[in-house]
Parts: sequence; C-alpha cells; structure tokens
Amino acid sequence: MSQLDRRMFLKVLAATGATPALLAAQDSSGGGRTDAVVWKRTPCRLCDVGCGMLVGIQDGRAVAIKGDVDAPANRGLACVKGYYAVQALYGSDRIRYAMIRRNGTLVRVPLAEAYDVIAARLRATVRQHGRDSVALYGSGQWSLTDAYVAGKLWKGALGSNHIDTSTRLYSASARAGASGSVGVDGPLGSFADIEHADVVVLWNHNIAETDPVLFSRMLERRRTNRLRVIELAARTTRTSYGIDRSIRYAPHAELAVIHAICHEIVARRQVNREFIERHVAFRKGSTAVGYGLEGEPITPDVPAVASWKEYVNFLGAYAARKSEPITGIAPEDITWLASLYADPARKVLSVWGSALNQHARGTWVNNGLHNIHLLVGKIAAPGNGVLPLNGQPGGAAAVHDAGSEPGSLPRGDVRNAADRELAARIWGIDARRINARPGRSALAIFRGLERSDVRFLWVHGTNPMVSLPNLARYRRAAAGDSCFVVVSDAYPTATTDIADVVLPAAWWLEREAVYGDAGRRLQHSAQMIQPPGDAASDAVHMIEIARRLGFARLFPWTAATHVEQSWNEYRRFHAHPATRLPSLAALRGGRGMLWPAGSSETAWRCNTAHDPAADKRRGQFDFYGHAEHRAWIWLRPYQPPAETTDARYPFWLASGTVLEHAGTGSLTRRIPTLHRAVPGAYVELNARDAEELGIGNGTRVRLISRRGSIELPARVNVRSQPARGQVFVPSFDEHVLVNMLTLDACCPLSGQPDYQKCAVRVERVT
Amino acid sequence: MKAGAEIMVRVATATIAIGAAGLFIGSFSARATRRLPADRPAREAPVVRLDRDSQPPIDGEARVFAAVVPVPGEAARRRSAHPRTLATFRALRPYPGAPPRIPHGLTADEFRNTRCRTCHERGGYSLRFEAYAPVTPHPELTDCLQCHVADDAVVGVSFPGDHPDALCGQCHASPRGVKLTLPRSDWRGAAWPEPGAARMPGAPPAIPHDLELRGNCVACHAGPGAVAEIRTTHAQWSSCLQCHVTVASAGSFSRTRGTP
Repeated sequence: MSQLDRRMFLKVLAATGATPALLAAQDSSGGGRTDAVVWKRTPCRLCDVGCGMLVGIQDGRAVAIKGDVDAPANRGLACVKGYYAVQALYGSDRIRYAMIRRNGTLVRVPLAEAYDVIAARLRATVRQHGRDSVALYGSGQWSLTDAYVAGKLWKGALGSNHIDTSTRLYSASARAGASGSVGVDGPLGSFADIEHADVVVLWNHNIAETDPVLFSRMLERRRTNRLRVIELAARTTRTSYGIDRSIRYAPHAELAVIHAICHEIVARRQVNREFIERHVAFRKGSTAVGYGLEGEPITPDVPAVASWKEYVNFLGAYAARKSEPITGIAPEDITWLASLYADPARKVLSVWGSALNQHARGTWVNNGLHNIHLLVGKIAAPGNGVLPLNGQPGGAAAVHDAGSEPGSLPRGDVRNAADRELAARIWGIDARRINARPGRSALAIFRGLERSDVRFLWVHGTNPMVSLPNLARYRRAAAGDSCFVVVSDAYPTATTDIADVVLPAAWWLEREAVYGDAGRRLQHSAQMIQPPGDAASDAVHMIEIARRLGFARLFPWTAATHVEQSWNEYRRFHAHPATRLPSLAALRGGRGMLWPAGSSETAWRCNTAHDPAADKRRGQFDFYGHAEHRAWIWLRPYQPPAETTDARYPFWLASGTVLEHAGTGSLTRRIPTLHRAVPGAYVELNARDAEELGIGNGTRVRLISRRGSIELPARVNVRSQPARGQVFVPSFDEHVLVNMLTLDACCPLSGQPDYQKCAVRVERVT
Repeated sequence: MKAGAEIMVRVATATIAIGAAGLFIGSFSARATRRLPADRPAREAPVVRLDRDSQPPIDGEARVFAAVVPVPGEAARRRSAHPRTLATFRALRPYPGAPPRIPHGLTADEFRNTRCRTCHERGGYSLRFEAYAPVTPHPELTDCLQCHVADDAVVGVSFPGDHPDALCGQCHASPRGVKLTLPRSDWRGAAWPEPGAARMPGAPPAIPHDLELRGNCVACHAGPGAVAEIRTTHAQWSSCLQCHVTVASAGSFSRTRGTP
C-alpha cells in the first residue's frame, strides 16, 4: 500500500511539477543552498473561508506558508490558523499506522489486516442485524471526494442511509433554512458581496474570531468609508470593538427580533411591493415541533400556503414595543435597523454563522433572515443578500454534500424515485438497493448506540466524543461494547480512545482532493507531500473496504486516479446549469470556480443576469428551486428555548469558537504557538456578575447544569464579555468538556443541536 | 484596569512619534568592510557581506529622525533593554515570512481592543518595555490579532506603573505560574536566508523575501526599532527598490521564441 502510494506520489509530482511560475528559487549565492523551495497552491483547511495559500515545499516537507495574493477569498492575507496550518501536519503524535484494540489496548497492525478486520465485521453486522445497523459519521473536514465515495459506499453498495457528517452540528439549519426560503441550499451570493454592500449586519457572529479574513475585508471597506458594519450579538467580542455599532439582544430572541424588524418595515410602508408581487409567496409550517430530544430529531415540515394578509396579521404580535420584553432591544433600535434594511439607496448583506444556526429553531431563524431580505427585495444581487458562514471547510458545509447526508443522494433525495433511479443508473446498480427512507442524522446515530440499534460505526476525521452536546449521554452509549467503532483520524482524540480499530488518515497536502467553501468556491488541491507511515485519505480507506466487501465493480478506481474518476462520475449527476460542476482540469488550472460552474462560474444564483439556470422571462430573479418559481416568506413564530434559566440555574451558557483553534482542537492544539495562545478552556463572565460572585480573573469556578459539572478558570474582561446573566466557554478543549453541560435539544427541521443555550449555575471553587 | 489605563498614558507620552521615511536625514556611519568568504565554491558568484560588528550600536532616535522631541531626563534611559536582532527576529517566527508572535504582555484592554497600533504604527521608545517598538509594515491592516498570536500567559497581565523591570517575568517565566507542556512537533521550517548577500562585490544585496505585507522596508530595516543585523547603512535613501531587487519570485530567463 505504502509502496503504491509512493509511486503514485512521484507521478503526481511529475504532473504538477510543470508549474515553473510558482518556482521560487532561493538566491543560491545567499545561504549557500542550492535546493529550491517550491511554492504550491492549495486552499487552507481550517475554516469555511477556503483561503488560497502558497505552501513552500522542500525535500518532501512543507516548510513555509503564505497567503496567495491572487486568491479571491483572502488576497494574500491569512489568519493565525492559516499561517501555522502547515505545523499541524507535523505533530509528533500523528497516527501513522493502523491499530486494533486487543485486551483494551490499541496495538499497531499492518494496514491490510485492519482493512480485513473492518470488512469482515461490517459484512457480519449487515448479515446478522441488517443494513440499518451500520452507520457512518463523517466530517466537516471532508473533501467532496471523501463525501462522494462515502455516500456511494453506504447508500449504493450497502443500501444504508445512516450516514451523516459533523456539519450537522455547525450548518444544517442554514441549509434547511435556505432550501425552505429560496429553494436552493447553498448561498445565493458569495464573499464578493462584502465589497458591493453598503451595510453588513452580523447576526450573533463573532467574525473576528470565526472568519477573520472576511472580517479584514470588511474592515478594509470600512476604513475607506464605503461600508458600515453593524452587529446584533449576545456578547461583546473582538468583533464588537472593530465595527460601527453593536446591539445586544436576549439569548434565543432572534425570531422576535427578525419579526419586529419586518413589522417595522411593513408598518412604515417600506416594503418592496413590486418584488413581492413578482417573486414571493407565503408559507406557514407545523408549529408543534418539539425539541428533538429523543430518537431522530428531524421531523418533516408540512408547509401550507399563506397570504400577505396573514403575514401582516402574524407580524402584529411582534411590534417593537410588544416584543421588547423578549428581544431586550429598544424600539428605536428596531426602527433604526428596519430603516437600514429598507433604505432603497443602501445595499445590505446579512452575515451569520454556527452560533446562530445552533438554535432550537435554527431553520426558522434562517427563514426569518431571508424574510427580511425578501420583504425589501434585497437578495441575490451584488451587495444585497444573506451569507451564512458555516464554520467548517468541507462536506455539506461546503457547497454540496455529495450524497453524504441521511436523506440525500449525489443529486436529489432518497425519497424521490426519479432521484434513486438516476443514482442507480450512474452507479450501475439496481435502484431497489437504495433505501427510500432517510437514515439517521448525527444525534440519532449516537442515540442508536443507546439501544444497540447501531452496531457498527465508522467515524472519519471528527471527534464526537468531545463535540456532541449532552456528552455524558453519548459517552455512556459509546462505552457499551455492542457497537464496533472504527475511527479514521490524523491524531489521537477522545474518539480514537473508544475505537476498536483506528485508521491513519492523510490530511490536506498529503492527498489530492476537491474542496468547497462557504462562498461556493470549488478548489482543487494536489498532493504535495507523502502522508506519514501508512496514512491514506478517507476516500482511499473506503475504496479498500468496498473492494473487500465485493463492491470492486462500483469502485473501479486506483489510489492514484480515484479523485479524477470519482469527480467525473459525480459530475454526471449535475449536468443541469442549476447545479453544474466544472471539470477537474478547469479546477486544477486556476484558483477554483464559484459553483455552479461549467465553462464559467455563477456569481449570483437565481439572478437572471448571472445564473444561466434562471429564466429571464421571469424578470430580474427566478427562484427556480421552488416549483412556482417564487421565494417563500415563512410565518415562523417565536417559541421559547428548550431550557430556560431559573433560581437554581440562573446563567445562560453559550459555547463556541476561539480564533486560535478549529473544532475540537485535534489539529490546532498540535501547533505549539496556538496551544500557547489558548492552552485550555475558560469561562467568560460579565464583570458585574463576577464581582457579585467574588470571582476574579483566573479564579477557579465550577459550572453546573442539569446534566453535569466542570471546573475551569474564569476570565473577566479579557477576550470577550458576555452580557449580565450569561457565560461563555470555548468548546475546543478535550480536558474541559463544556458539552458535559450542554443540552441535546435540536432544531426539529435540521437536526442541528443548540449549543448556545442551556441553564447553568456558577460557583467559586474553594 | 485602572493601572493599565495609566500606563497607556505614560507610554503615549514617552513614545516619540517618528517621521515618515521622507523625513530621514541622518546617515549611519557605514563602515562596511568587504571580504570574500573562503569556503565558497569557486564557480559561484562571489558574495559580499557587510560586517555588522564594526557598526556602533544605535542608542537613540536622534541620529536617525529629524523630528525627535527630547524628553528631559529620559535620554539616559533610552537604551533598549530588548535590542532586536536576527536571533530574536527568528525566534518569533516558525519559518521565514511567518507573522511574528507577540513577545510581550498585553493588558486586557489592549488585547480586547487591539490597541497595537498605538505603539507599532509609528514606532518609538516605550518606557514600559524599555525598548523601541518595531514599526508595522502594514498599518492599514487593523485586526492585528488575526495573524499575530499572543501567549495566553501574558494576556491580561497588569503592569506595575513605575517599575518596568517587573515586566521581565512576562517573557522569562509565566506570570500566572502556569507550567505549560507544549505539544511535541516534528516541524522543521524553511532555512533562513543569509542577510547582506550580494552577487558581486559592491552590488546592493538582493531582497531574499517577497514584499507582500512587507513592502515598507523601513519597518524592519531602518530606525532604532530595526533588526540590528539588517539595519540599513543609508536610511537617507528611501527608494529601496531602486537598487535592491527581490529574488523571491525570480526564475531564470530563457528564450522561448526565436528572433522574429
């Protein structure tokens, strides 16, 4: 295997080495060195922005990195993660070889032996317990290559739809919301909207720490007086200090805020009537939907037609003054926000991320944000629109899930017979092999471990034993031995700790792949260095297992050529201009393309001047994702959160990201500088709350929720400041697990958990 | 917090605004000696190195900048306790071209509000650190912490008002007394280019790095905040690229088409 990889690698080098423009020879007379550092282009893999980077390769190792000046996303600039990303390849504890648990300990085995064990166990489990007993949990780190191979293996070969990715935890509500509102699940615009907009409204999105490169693009526009940046946020962050205005609102109040703004726009007759009459319809959905606390959290919505009149009546309950007790926002600020959105002379862009999507009504909130833009007709046009930033670089967060979600196929839905037939035709299988019932979404997979419904689980490049909410519950479920757990990763994690078999994963520069990003850009990344030991990409591991299961006919690809071959097959699903995928050659040649893309890219979807799939006869816009070619304004009421504060648990707890770490830190904590910068989790308190509790900076405190407790140091007035009655804990630290406190309530339409709201008590540790 | 604010005022008054590159009037006493290294293969172009040891240390701004306003009684103190050298320069960067780590403490206010530019936009002497602040080559980028990392151990550390020596602990031991185990890494960065290398005797040395985000040469190569070994000998000339050419993107020329 490793011999094969090496040969393949040399071939790849020969193929990609023909880029003399990127060759940057050191001044040979300078240091007495004659070996050249060769700069190669790749997208960064540590967040959803997909910055173009140039990596310096020398003697088969990555030795330096810099921003690519010509990359559309970042224009030469990166962030702390990007500038140190290459060091994440070289942590001393990389998983280099396959391991099998024997007598409680993971022991090194030849890769082929691990493959044999996995294949035998998978085959036996399906035979004994049926195809619904096996599940696959992939990663937001995944490339589209991995996602496509995984979807084909699970749905096409095994006939199981129990496959999901960690994007469920970050961005599922954004996709579900966009699908419901405008009929397509990716963003309509792109990052370029930042340069066209006059106003950016950030919705509970600490962009300085989550998407810093985009924040710098905003600051550059702001510095030259071309952009105002406003935020609505639950806490004061580094973002708040750099922008024009920051407005606080109460936790969970987003829908009330949105409807109050819309009410104001309607009351002041600032609605874009022409746009509404031509391009908008109204819908209402089920309202008794619960919080997805047991079983499969996703429940199908039942949309019903509504009218403008009903919508206006619906908004009546949210007049700024009436909703102030919920929103905590003064009526004059609602008026001001409404006037910004409605001003015909201003282009407005709304931006948010996972902190907003992680909401027990996340899909509704996403619908609501579309509502504002539809009401004033500011959508799908340069500088006007919505830009959900998903936090993760790959998988479903990035453009396409490629069939790696429980209800999806590479194109379409498993419930749709025509979509199943298309997949069967392209894959060369009997359409009846594809299960017509959507499988388990992320939390349901792990809930399936509780009652031994899931007996084989393969986790790829993600760390659910740190990242799942209400973690004690899922750690208990995984502790039993009824489920055989395979984990592929680059580093040991809390999840490899529970694995029966561990596979060494190649990451980023160590393998070739196609990636997406939150701005719809598809990028190709060539292999540049050898993976350590026996490590191989998730796609290669899965192809090896498929062969051993007897599905060689479905995966007639070699390790060297599978990226191009699988991409070409995937492209066959997307011949239509609404979703067209460019050729690998087109992606290899440049700095990626905005999907959908054939020979040219699509800058604004559903805009008839830019989108070849949009019908010009329908005017400036065509929301073709809905059969009636209209976007939908949804009547989604404000509903309370799953858990609220009370006398015993008086503080709201939110959890999230810091600039220096990605996900659960399994990559970024291997970078010495970033580890030193944020070596562990802490709890941020409001200064007045801290004073009342006798807590200072560095005081050890205990946080207690209805589910568990953790101890950690306090931070007061250092990085960000929660509002009174709120606390914040970063979620990257496997040693201080904030998810022991969080609740596994989900948005019932998207299955995305709410990591932003649960009730806790704060105690000083004495 | 209060102490931090006081210090900011002190730093602001002690920080002497230096002029733009156009104000340079002084000149270093450049006594560059030339020598050819003996160990270089004969076929390569000869290399000229500037012998930095023979240059006197720079003890203040008066010889470099015209617009220096002397602070009474401060002159004697304005010797840098932390002179910038290639060694300190490299220690803050894992590879050539990396954005440097932040090597000093930051008050919570400075960290939160990204107040870096107070000192680093124009440089000058900081009483608080007893050192000259290096000048940023890209003051137009204002979200400094996007790329520059501060150690947790020195963030939010409050500073004693009048005894800057008490700050030593920031760098030399963790002020919070936290013993941090760094992750073990097999990382090896690219080699650092040798400074001052020229192709021919007497030729201006080439620029061994690209100029993206580092296009303002003055930031690192001139003034008292500059790195000692790469400090220019002729700060009065401000059009650096007239004589110094960047090699970072140079391939070799070859004719690909014949004469028309």
